[in-house]
Amino acid sequence: MSTSDSGVVVRLTIPGKPEFVGVARLAILGVASRMRFNYDEVEDIRLAVGEACTTAIERAQGANAVAHELHVRCLIDLSRLVVEVSDSMPIPAVTELPKTESILDERCLGGVLIRILMDDVENIEDPDTGGRGVRMTKYVASPVR
Amino acid sequence: MNMLKVETRTPREGVAVIVLGGEVDVYTSPRLKQEMVDLLNRGQVNLIVDLNGIEYLDSTGLGVLIGGLKRAREREGDLRLICDNMRILRIFEITGLTKIFDIDRNEDDALGKLKPA
Repeated sequence: MSTSDSGVVVRLTIPGKPEFVGVARLAILGVASRMRFNYDEVEDIRLAVGEACTTAIERAQGANAVAHELHVRCLIDLSRLVVEVSDSMPIPAVTELPKTESILDERCLGGVLIRILMDDVENIEDPDTGGRGVRMTKYVASPVR
Repeated sequence: MNMLKVETRTPREGVAVIVLGGEVDVYTSPRLKQEMVDLLNRGQVNLIVDLNGIEYLDSTGLGVLIGGLKRAREREGDLRLICDNMRILRIFEITGLTKIFDIDRNEDDALGKLKPA
């Protein structure tokens, strides 16, 4: 945990393997539960972060790049929670959200869920490592003044 | 974290009820997929998946259920879901999958709506 100009930062790094996605979900559950989100919002954030990790792992597996790590960075302030899920592998489109959003295409469901569950969603890229990921923001409905 | 629990019953010929508990995610969903494939290959072409004991369901779990539905219908069977957990139902609603799946509140309703074998 560290502090930034606008809030507190919590970082977690997990192996890019399916069995560790639950660890990221538990961590974000702890973070979101300490903020002024209601139960449904906390569950939305948990599911979105799980989906982001899953998307990263599945695409890395598709590129035969299983031995990698995922980085979860949470920026906490009074009005919002920003969660970035990224990796550090310079392979194309590791965690980018798909552009197509067909509900019958099970490969795209994760991206659909992330966009619905979170308030702001954007793809990100680390210019230093070439890693890619997604930045997701959930706003607190009634922040403390 | 709660691992996936899978219990299967066959209340009548050609029909299997899969009762799930725990979490269905990228790690555990392959087990559910294999269970459904095995049942379909053994001729249990009408599947009922009970989601009431599920605590977490993600897109990989949804994908497995979609795959199971497709495979069942290819064999002229069906796949129905049982769920009265509002949190899980919401995932089906926001993804539009309530238009794809038949979802019942309990096993009696699901069994009653399956086509006769």
